[in-house]
Amino acid sequence: MLKMTQRLAFLSIVVAFTTIIIIPMARAQDSSNQELAQVLRELSQQIQDIKKEHAAALQTMQREIDALKAQLQQQAAQTTLPSTVTTVTTVTGVPAAAAISTASRDDDEQELYAAIKSSAAAMLPATPVPGVDLDASVIIDGFYHYDSHKLGVSHLKNSLAGFSHAHDQDDAGHDHEHSVIEDGFNLRHLELGLSAAVDPYFTAWTTLAFDDHASEVEEAVIQSSSLPWGLTLSAGKIKSGIGRMNHQHSHNWDFFDQPLVYDALFGDHGLTDKGLQLTWLAPTPFHFLIGAEAFQGNHETVANYLGSDPFPRHNGPRLLTSFLKFGPQLDEQHALQFGLSYVQGRHQEEEDHDGHTHYFNGYNRIYGADVVYKYDAKRPHGHGDVVLQGEFFHRQRDLELLNNGQDYNNSQDGYYLQALYGFKPRWRVGARWEQLGVTNDVHDVHDGKLSYCASNRASAMLDWKLSEFSLLRMQTTNGNFATAHGREDFWEFIMQLQISIGKHAAHDF
Amino acid sequence: MKYPAFLIVAAFLCTALASALARAEAQAIRIVATTTDLADITRAICGDLAIVTSITTGQEDPHALSAKPGYVVSARDADLWIRIGMELEIGWEGPILRDSRNRRIQVGAPGHLDASTNVIRLDVPTQAITRAMGDVHPMGNPHYWLDPLNGRIVAKTITDKLCDLHPQHQDAFQQNLRNFQNDLDEHMFGQTLVARFGGAKLWRFLNDGTLKPQLAAADLGAGDGWYGLLEPYAGSYVVTYHRSWIYLLERFNLPVLAEMEPLPGVPPSGRHLAKLAQDMRDKQVRVILQEPFYNRKAADLLAKRSPATVLVRANACGGSAEATSYLAMLDSVIRGLHNALSNDTPQP
Repeated sequence: MLKMTQRLAFLSIVVAFTTIIIIPMARAQDSSNQELAQVLRELSQQIQDIKKEHAAALQTMQREIDALKAQLQQQAAQTTLPSTVTTVTTVTGVPAAAAISTASRDDDEQELYAAIKSSAAAMLPATPVPGVDLDASVIIDGFYHYDSHKLGVSHLKNSLAGFSHAHDQDDAGHDHEHSVIEDGFNLRHLELGLSAAVDPYFTAWTTLAFDDHASEVEEAVIQSSSLPWGLTLSAGKIKSGIGRMNHQHSHNWDFFDQPLVYDALFGDHGLTDKGLQLTWLAPTPFHFLIGAEAFQGNHETVANYLGSDPFPRHNGPRLLTSFLKFGPQLDEQHALQFGLSYVQGRHQEEEDHDGHTHYFNGYNRIYGADVVYKYDAKRPHGHGDVVLQGEFFHRQRDLELLNNGQDYNNSQDGYYLQALYGFKPRWRVGARWEQLGVTNDVHDVHDGKLSYCASNRASAMLDWKLSEFSLLRMQTTNGNFATAHGREDFWEFIMQLQISIGKHAAHDF
Repeated sequence: MKYPAFLIVAAFLCTALASALARAEAQAIRIVATTTDLADITRAICGDLAIVTSITTGQEDPHALSAKPGYVVSARDADLWIRIGMELEIGWEGPILRDSRNRRIQVGAPGHLDASTNVIRLDVPTQAITRAMGDVHPMGNPHYWLDPLNGRIVAKTITDKLCDLHPQHQDAFQQNLRNFQNDLDEHMFGQTLVARFGGAKLWRFLNDGTLKPQLAAADLGAGDGWYGLLEPYAGSYVVTYHRSWIYLLERFNLPVLAEMEPLPGVPPSGRHLAKLAQDMRDKQVRVILQEPFYNRKAADLLAKRSPATVLVRANACGGSAEATSYLAMLDSVIRGLHNALSNDTPQP
């Protein structure tokens, strides 16, 4: 075949050259045209003949190749699929065959993976993977609310005996325009969450809350992702790690509202402030986490700062916390976590009383304990799961009346206990019992030392997670609150629809 | 300030004691696999060289798991984290890895292995998906471990990673891989065929669809493995609860007629089941396959209205009494399918 091609090439070159040489000659000598035409005709005839020979030779070679292939296949089949007779007979052949087969089996592995790789590559989608991982999510939380009290429950919450922000009832409830719930349709707030890895050293996330009246940065956290020894440092506006529920956003609550003790001690948004948080996950065989936080101290109920005359000036951080979490290793279906918290904040208050003002300066100290137990029934969509949870907080408020140097010590507490049960896939029922002010000893400037009664609240909840991203909830609450005007009893009914779009939410503990 | 000072001192004492106890444990390689099947395959590769634990138990729906303090403790100490990937663990892997503060196993680190790297994928969306379609995974159906060939590929992926991380043990890992592959191949094709062909060759032929003619040309039967068990029923339709069995059924050429869920993750509706029962009668479907954690009511209803029997099988190692290992789990499903398909007693 090679020879044939060479000849063909040689002839073509000869023809080309003769043409190149002959054509100018032909122009010069018109008389020799006919002779030349004859030569050319002969040459083309020769080329045609060679082409025919070439094609015939190729065909025979192809036939030979096919025959050889068939022979090889037969041989291969004989070596890889040896009949029982051949393997048994030749004694010397056995080790040789084994050696061949191991060598070829390594090749077989290579071939298998190559084949799979090419088929897998063909199956991948054509769309490119997005380059930057900015995860966004939006939570819309709307609800229908009805309560049986003529002033409304939001108003009552701000006038709880011993916990009202000001002793003067008229001032209560107007600080948080956006927290007032109307009877009828309400939109809690629109929560926009953004998160991403910053670089190899930090991750960051922010949660922004919007409603008709205001917008607010709920959280803006820069968190280290590369510190050694189980340490994590966070900076920014942080939801404190104290307690069980404090760091949870409202869409992660198991009930429509947060417990009364949170409302009273930490306000609508819990203990959130600007500062630093350092946590350490200990190298213990059980879960053990210790955290400490230093916050600026601009928090209405825990670390209120006025700072102008007659109040002493204090630089931040004015609010310090520490907490620990302990979780024993239980078997797969059970999880238990205990937590202890301590909060200490510099606190300043001024109160107007019949034409004169009282200036208080001192500390809030809050001690907390929490426990959560989860039972995982290992059935789909939370069917059979149980969650038991409780938290207790005690607040010691020690203030000095700057007008006369007298000490005012308040000692108050509150707790809640709740239970949830998944009675069907995606359906949960829950109950919660709360008391605020079991100890409710308040020292009043005019009335002296008082001991108020506790406020009680009981709630029943039913929720249905239609999917990972939508939730429908009903809640009924009966409250019996101790207020400055005596006990107030009320019923509350809530129907809530909450959805999330965007990033798939994490199933945190 | 007395209180926090006491708290911190007590905490440090506890920690010192406990970490001293923890140090006493062996210096073995510590591996956390997200699922029991990954853990079982990893154990087969590592032998005594590693302590392998898993997050799931095989009894639950792996999508719906939530993070727990115990998982964080396991992840904290791990040298290697192996996940199924393809977003199966999307709800809980993030919080566990973040809270573990273990830099070795974060996504992108050498100690983080996505086992789906080399597997054969099915149901990879070819156009944009929305959540109105149900729980559709944008990277494809993540239940790939139910194809034994993918189990074989995963074993190799894990071995390669282990050899990279611990080259001093690479001979042991490679030998264990060969043993595991041989074990899997013999389950699949039977000892005789594997001894004659070699497992890889059989898999390659099966994967490109030429195994049956090759065996026929060599005058051989389908063998006494899983392939041989189900080969006679190739083409029979199966109905499943969730779209979780597609890899196993496609491997054995048993097409899925439909799922009981009208959309992935959406519970069966009466209307959907009524239509499905009609289709099952038309197509003479013999098997309804579902996992033990799903409610059986819909399947029983369908079985009453069609010639099918209900087969409840765990889709993960540890999910049932028989599923003691990855191969035992597959064996239990495949034998169950064989029994259901070969059952000739007429159904009402």
